[in-house]
Amino acid sequence: MTDSTTQLPVAVIEKQIGEFLLAKTKMTWEPEVDLFASGVVSSLFAMELVVFVESTFGVAVEGADLAIDNFRTVRVMSALVTRLRGGGDGA
Amino acid sequence: MLDALSALVTETVGDAARGWDVAGEIPLDVLRGLGAKGVLCAEAHPEFGGLGLSGTDNGALTAHTGALCSSLRSVMTSQGMAAWTVRRFGDKAQRVEYLGRLTDGELAAVAFSEPGAGSDLAAMSTRIRRDGGEIVVDGTKTWITVAAYADWIVVFGRYEGGGAVALVPATAPGVKVTRVPDPLGCRAAGHATVELDGVRLPEEHLLAVTGLPVVMMTTIALTYGRLSVAWGCVGILRACVEAVARHAGQREQFGKPLLQHQLVARHLAELYAAERTATFACEQASRAWDTGSPEQVPASVLAKHVAAGNAARGAASALQVLASSAATGGHVVERAYRDAKLMEVIEGSNEICQLILAEHAASTAG
Repeated sequence: MTDSTTQLPVAVIEKQIGEFLLAKTKMTWEPEVDLFASGVVSSLFAMELVVFVESTFGVAVEGADLAIDNFRTVRVMSALVTRLRGGGDGA
Repeated sequence: MLDALSALVTETVGDAARGWDVAGEIPLDVLRGLGAKGVLCAEAHPEFGGLGLSGTDNGALTAHTGALCSSLRSVMTSQGMAAWTVRRFGDKAQRVEYLGRLTDGELAAVAFSEPGAGSDLAAMSTRIRRDGGEIVVDGTKTWITVAAYADWIVVFGRYEGGGAVALVPATAPGVKVTRVPDPLGCRAAGHATVELDGVRLPEEHLLAVTGLPVVMMTTIALTYGRLSVAWGCVGILRACVEAVARHAGQREQFGKPLLQHQLVARHLAELYAAERTATFACEQASRAWDTGSPEQVPASVLAKHVAAGNAARGAASALQVLASSAATGGHVVERAYRDAKLMEVIEGSNEICQLILAEHAASTAG
């Protein structure tokens, strides 16, 4: 788990997510590619993804944040992580 | 704390499990009493009034309960899954409200299955919609564990483009609960059909997370449920091992104890192996759950599949050894035989678990 009080560069977050996806799907995912449009991602895997993001980056994805649109691409996941860790634009 | 909770369950059940099974009912004050002590959803966090047990300890408590009474264990699975659903999908206010209730003696059923949506939960047709400051729930849910006792029905349904969860009071106008007559197993777990006809509730009854795909939402809730059922099956196996070991050690035929007949000894060996492997699969999944590892998702399906199959085969083998001494209504092994078969059907049938595991294995192999 990463200490949530420190800033993590976007590139590092995207790299960690990318490595998880590669290990799980045996595919490399470009930052803007829709995971769910591919048909590669099952519901079971979607939940693994949520648990991965929470445990790896020390965040809790709750309420309105627990939405498929926040997990659709590597980039939006990384933006979610940055926001939940208290960085970014706070949108 | 685990020892104290296990002792409390042992003391509460006493020698009543057989009677509850035959009557098809656990006295409501027994369930409320355990619920008010937080035992039925022991993982709920202390900040919400819960006991804050780890998944591993709650698994041990669930197995302990399952060895005594699978109906009570089913109630525990239901209450725990309801609490987990609120924890996962509710906002802070909803967690405070509902986890407080669930650790204070109120009982909850979780409603997934429908006449046209059993294994295929994506085919669910129950609808939840907003109407002004209210929500309206319409649909029929079948074989809902605990529904006959429940104060709350945790209803999964379609909502706008995805899914949502409504917390429906069992007494709300438009709710009709009808017991399943003579269920095969877990006979005192309060299985019922729940009909929801234009049930109107304040919008606070809609859990905060909405719009995820229905199957993703049910998968999240069922991960808890599957692991809980798996631990319950471990309990069934432990009860069978104990009954078979005692019986085969005492009863003599052809001039020696049954255990010295090799064909009987094999039953005990296989039963023991079944209990151990189910336990290991459950422990592995609970560790993944406790450490927040994504592995918890497939590991819970694996644990459920291994434990339910082992319990069904193990209970059949136990009945074979005990023979006529267990072949009467409510005997611990006779209950195990019926209860375990039901475990191969619920929370993801054997076949659904196999499909999930096959997909997982294929994707892992790359």
